[in-house]
Amino acid sequence: MSETKVAEIKNLVKDYGTRGFQTRVLKGIDLKINRNDFTAIMGPSGSGKTTLLNILSSIDKPTQGSVILDGKDITRISNRELSNLRRDKIGFIFQDYNLLDTMTLQDNIALPLSLNGVSSKICLEKTLELAETFGLTQHLKKYPYQLSGGQKQRGATCRALITDPEIIFADEPTGALDSKSSRDLLECLRLVNDQQKATILMVTHDAFCASYAKDVYILSDGKIQCRLSRGLTRKEFYDRIIDMQSSMGGDFS
Amino acid sequence: MSMGKLALQNFKSSFKNYLALILSLGFTVLIFLNFQYLVYSDALTILGQQNAEYSEILVQVVSVVLVCFIFFFLWYSTNVFLTKRKKEIGIYIFMGLTNQKIGRLYMMESMMTGGTALALGIGAGILTTRLFQMILMALSGIAADIQFHFVLQPILITAAVYLAIYFLFVLKGYVSIVRSSVLDMVSANRKNEYVQQKNWILMGKAIAGTGILASGYYMATKDGGQEVMGNVMIAVILVIIGIYLLFDGLLPVLFQKLAKNKRFLYQKERTLWINNVIFRMKKNYRTYAMVCILMLCSVTALATGFAMNERYENIQHFRNTYTYQLLGSQPDLDRQITPLIEKENPIEYSTRAEILMLDSGQDASESYQKIYGLLSYSQIRELAGLANLKCDIEEPADDEVISVSHLYLLSLMTNRNHVNVTLDGKEYHQTAEINEPYLGYLQEDMEYYLVNDRVFQMLLPKGQVLYTYNYRITDPLNYKASLDELDALTNGNPDVYTGRIAIDPENKGDEWIKVAYSVCVFMFLVFVMASGSILFMKLYNDAFEEKERYGVLQKLGYQRNKLRKAISRELAFAYVLPFAIMTLSSYFSIHALEKMMNTSLLILNMVSVAIILLFFLLCYLLSVSMYQKNAGLKKSS
Ligand SMILES: Nc1ncnc2c1ncn2[C@@H]1O[C@H](COP(=O)(O)OP(=O)(O)O)[C@@H](O)[C@H]1O
Ligand SMILES: [Mg+2]
Repeated sequence: MSETKVAEIKNLVKDYGTRGFQTRVLKGIDLKINRNDFTAIMGPSGSGKTTLLNILSSIDKPTQGSVILDGKDITRISNRELSNLRRDKIGFIFQDYNLLDTMTLQDNIALPLSLNGVSSKICLEKTLELAETFGLTQHLKKYPYQLSGGQKQRGATCRALITDPEIIFADEPTGALDSKSSRDLLECLRLVNDQQKATILMVTHDAFCASYAKDVYILSDGKIQCRLSRGLTRKEFYDRIIDMQSSMGGDFS
Repeated sequence: MSMGKLALQNFKSSFKNYLALILSLGFTVLIFLNFQYLVYSDALTILGQQNAEYSEILVQVVSVVLVCFIFFFLWYSTNVFLTKRKKEIGIYIFMGLTNQKIGRLYMMESMMTGGTALALGIGAGILTTRLFQMILMALSGIAADIQFHFVLQPILITAAVYLAIYFLFVLKGYVSIVRSSVLDMVSANRKNEYVQQKNWILMGKAIAGTGILASGYYMATKDGGQEVMGNVMIAVILVIIGIYLLFDGLLPVLFQKLAKNKRFLYQKERTLWINNVIFRMKKNYRTYAMVCILMLCSVTALATGFAMNERYENIQHFRNTYTYQLLGSQPDLDRQITPLIEKENPIEYSTRAEILMLDSGQDASESYQKIYGLLSYSQIRELAGLANLKCDIEEPADDEVISVSHLYLLSLMTNRNHVNVTLDGKEYHQTAEINEPYLGYLQEDMEYYLVNDRVFQMLLPKGQVLYTYNYRITDPLNYKASLDELDALTNGNPDVYTGRIAIDPENKGDEWIKVAYSVCVFMFLVFVMASGSILFMKLYNDAFEEKERYGVLQKLGYQRNKLRKAISRELAFAYVLPFAIMTLSSYFSIHALEKMMNTSLLILNMVSVAIILLFFLLCYLLSVSMYQKNAGLKKSS
């Protein structure tokens, strides 16, 4: 089944700080992500989720261990290749959207494709198609400051999806959203996972958010503590996550 | 922490960011101080009383222009930095500071910035006055030994003018901060300046702008008599309004159209930079319009100075056609004069002319009777041959005259043909005007007309005939040698001789024009530098705003190369657009000047535009590098 493997991390360790004053944030993490997975990594604030995601998405470098993305060990390739990898194989969804406020939502969504030199006709078609899926058609002409948080995040998701990336990384995508917007966004993510077979890796501190995923890994104390897989309904999954969370105690919030 | 301390701390920590502002403010102070120094130090006195006075007036006029310039420059730069500052110190609103307090913080910081600039400018100004004066004199071709004297007055004037204007705009900033809402303050940077006006309004503005600009050009180049001065003033106003409207309308309509055309937009890196231009539309078009007008002024100023200087040299040449000119009532006086001159100096050439002094006669339209000097065609042809002067005119018809005029320093009339002249009660049609110095210096004193020989003979009995004997010696510098003998001759026979003229080739009569010329060169450089620094400053600030955005793009995996390309395009546009419109406009303004001064300035136009181009290229390269650094695309090691 090796051809369905999208990403794999082995014994990942990350230290912060200078020599002698180092703190180990990630203490040896192993994780494998296959095509069409919808994985959530859940952990309390400060547990190293963002760190993990940054390393996975090649924005940051690990202290030890390897990260294999698209068949390449990203700790061993040049910066140029890393940039290309990020551009072509990875889609990002950030907690604070990171839409460019100089352009309309439509231009924001089309940005990755248009910068990649894809013909403008295809850019346009794909943008409209994605906007339709995410219920943004009426908002395309608006600038980010004219949009609600939920609309912005859905827009950012469209932007992440437009290049048909191998994998989408989402860092607390609902972190800045109210519960209704959160639900809308998560439904959308599930939809693209189901229908367009997108692979999603999401980190969150929120059990509700995590319950939309197919698999949930719980990260705590720099290690993956356990893995939960979705059963029949999301509600039931949510309850299981909450149970696990409380059984582990700690400062989950 | 007290407000003062906080302000000082802010000022220190953001000093680097304001370096561009401080330097350009300091530079304006330096220039202004240098011009003031010219007036209050004795640098100009070596030109002699008269010239020093004229030069001083000139420098004062330039000072007024500079004050206007400082006004706009400060207005612009404080405005640009206010937006940025607002966001930065707006944070204090969350710490419970009131708008008033934040406003005061802004004032204190701005006064520190302004004070530093003033101190730097005055310091550098004092150090450079001597250099400045030496360059000015060298440019003017005036030999002078310039000493440095410390004079307090120009420093006080400079500081007062600068501080008054600066304080005005700081106060304006304060009011703006006090009046802004919390949201405004915190999101001051994020405001999108998309112009929401209807397309047809924008188009209307652009078309009106083009129309006004075109009529400005038309007014400037229109032929005319006395009204030309007024036309030029109107043209200046029309051109300024036209350029402003053009940018105000055309830029938004064009870019917003382009941004709507997604098929166009989603190619190359257009989506990045075209959207960026729209994002700061207001700031953009204002800056471009201002820079464009400023450069147009600078090119025109340079051309004016150049043309005046050239004209001055021509006038000098004109006057030096003859060394001596004697006027007498008899036709054969050369037999007395020639040997006298030859005793001291060899004669290069000599001519004689018969002038018929005639009044305009009974003409109801003129309230006073004018005296004209008439010259006959064949005589002038002969004279021109002897004195090596051009004479390619056709013989006038019986009802025609040709005006034989002289060069003016600044001639405003562009059409002197097709006027009628009344001679002895009869109207003659003026077909042309020529500026050949047939009668040398004499030609500057009266109006002369060339008529054909028949008319000359016919009018001969109506007026009084005067003979002029003109001599050019081979060494005009030695003109004094024959003066005494010539004076003895003329004074001894007052009924025969009516006048004597001797030309000193080293006459320093109008030396101030040379000073004017070099002042124009300076103004050109100052304005060009100012336009460059205005664009640079604007881009410098923009770059900070872009930092976050380029950070996001880098996270998304866009290589710096690609982003740099978008930046180069955006910046190139910022420089090329005002430059292009200025170049086009300058062609017309220079053409207007060409017509007035009756000279060709095309080469000068091209050279000055080329200088600006070079300077802009330099600014552009600097801006690109600076922009990349400020936008975080360059590792600042
Ligand atoms: N650049 C950094 N330098 C030093 N320590 C860091 C850095 N980034 C994160 N940390 C530390 O690493 C830990 C994990 O951070 P992060 O991955 O952001 O957590 P999370 O996203 O789960 O809230 C935190 O204790 C944080 O203080
Ligand atoms: Mg985080």
